[in-house]
Amino acid sequence: MYWEKEIETMGRSDLASLQLDRLNHSLEQARRSPFYGKRFAYKAPSHLAGLGDLTTLPFTTKDDLRNAFPYGFLTVDLKEVVRLHSSSGTTGNPTVVFHTAGDIGQWGNLIARCMYTTGVRKHDVFQNMMGYGLFTGGLGFHYGAEKLGVMTIPIGPGNSKRQIWFLQNLETTVVHILPSYALRLYKFFEELAIDPREDLALRIAFVGAEPHSEEIRKKIEDLYNIKVYNSYGLSEMCGPGVAFECECQEGLHIWEDHFYPEIVDPASEEVLPEGEPGELVLTTLTREAMPLVRYRTRDLTRFLPGNCPCGRTHRRIDRITGRSDDMLIINGVNIFPIQIEKTLMAIPEIGHNYLIEIRKENFMDRLQVHVEINEEVFHGTLAELEKLQENAVAALRAELGVTPSVKLVEPSSLPVSEGKAQRVYDYRNEAEAEG
Amino acid sequence: MGVQLSVFLENKPGKLETITKILAEAGINIRGISMASEGEFGVLKMLVNDPGKAHQVLKAHHFTVSERNVVVAIIADRPGALHNLLLTLSSQKINIEDCYGIVLEEGGQAAIVLDTEQFPEAEKVLQDNQIWLLSDGELYSL
Ligand SMILES: [Zn+2]
Repeated sequence: MYWEKEIETMGRSDLASLQLDRLNHSLEQARRSPFYGKRFAYKAPSHLAGLGDLTTLPFTTKDDLRNAFPYGFLTVDLKEVVRLHSSSGTTGNPTVVFHTAGDIGQWGNLIARCMYTTGVRKHDVFQNMMGYGLFTGGLGFHYGAEKLGVMTIPIGPGNSKRQIWFLQNLETTVVHILPSYALRLYKFFEELAIDPREDLALRIAFVGAEPHSEEIRKKIEDLYNIKVYNSYGLSEMCGPGVAFECECQEGLHIWEDHFYPEIVDPASEEVLPEGEPGELVLTTLTREAMPLVRYRTRDLTRFLPGNCPCGRTHRRIDRITGRSDDMLIINGVNIFPIQIEKTLMAIPEIGHNYLIEIRKENFMDRLQVHVEINEEVFHGTLAELEKLQENAVAALRAELGVTPSVKLVEPSSLPVSEGKAQRVYDYRNEAEAEG
Repeated sequence: MGVQLSVFLENKPGKLETITKILAEAGINIRGISMASEGEFGVLKMLVNDPGKAHQVLKAHHFTVSERNVVVAIIADRPGALHNLLLTLSSQKINIEDCYGIVLEEGGQAAIVLDTEQFPEAEKVLQDNQIWLLSDGELYSL
């Protein structure tokens, strides 16, 4: 069940020579941009003899992209450019990414490959609940789904009652959705007294754009009685479609015919031995308008060992465990928010939504986790709530190595956002108003 | 027996009022009320004349509500009456999680709501000891 069997199942040595070929071509293309033209003017070899030689080249960072705003990474004349996407940034210049018609075509093909891999076919109905616009999640999947030949409903995010109306009345079978929104949307089904497990034709959801735990995936699968596949991408590479889960749901195949992946230690910047967790670094192999060389994604993952039973030879990465810049240091202990999520979601009495706050008190960092209780398992006694609070503190202490305080809050009381969920609030750098 | 509603509440100003307002607007009469609190959160326990409807309106306002059976015992309004009732239960090793009084219109008697994990046992012990327990019908028509 392959979209492009020859490429997806290509032998490793053939794949490596394809990569080296494309890499050299890509480096040549990159040199046409002002940024790489200058960077590679003296030191970079004009032709790499092997893929390993790539490690002699410097990294490209998000700051490089910002500083070169707007056209410093563009390799082609503007008349060849057909699209711009941009990733949201709260400070400084936004990151802008350009696409030629060829880039858009390849990207669509990659998304079609991802969707086909999970069993989506022409007769499916695809409701795309990701944001359309500068964000790549909406348009990326839109073009891919059309390439595959699936009827696509470009509904975008939000307006939950309308989403449910379409899901029901058009008998949608496939959705693309933020994992946090999939959980929130479920509440609306309850209000409308519709059972998504029974009353929908839905069978597949693609979730991405937010790091999420395996427990969250299982929860969504269970609430809707569907298969949920993890999607990975970033706008700097193209958008979604960089890596995707196959039917085995054990790690994401990174499409190595288009991207060359490395895992590096974010602190020492050394390439790590295969299988060790670290930061994903990607080099584009086929991008025309804006090739990137050794781009620091800041996403943390590792290569999974062994071959995938699906027969694809492209290596798999583990689900993203966080971003190198998401790491919280609490009284000297390194913590990733996803560890907190994973721990909370394993406790059945705890609902879907949570929030993390960090404050300074008497020169110590204080971690407080707000959790919504799960109303379905509330029996009406104070004793059970006290026990739940104790259990949550104990489980978090065991996972994190620091002792948080846990505050139980009412379901649906934590703030929700239409876009990516913000769950960490770090108040340590703010002036201390409280005593 | 009666059906008690338990509502999970964060301890924030105005929370309790919100609940009494919702119930008043739905025409629901609160017979008895008790609050068990830990500091940051608590459980509000109520006996009302229409628990099904109260549950529904509170849930519609996103409150976390749970129903459980409680024993409602009638005791004489005189010294030692409550003590004797509790003694009867403790002698049978029945643990009471919470108890609170409710108002009766007739004079000379008091009704006590007994919230216990051992509901059927408590009911049986009190019946065996000839203590007057209010039935659903009697309770809701008070
Ligand atoms: Zn596979």
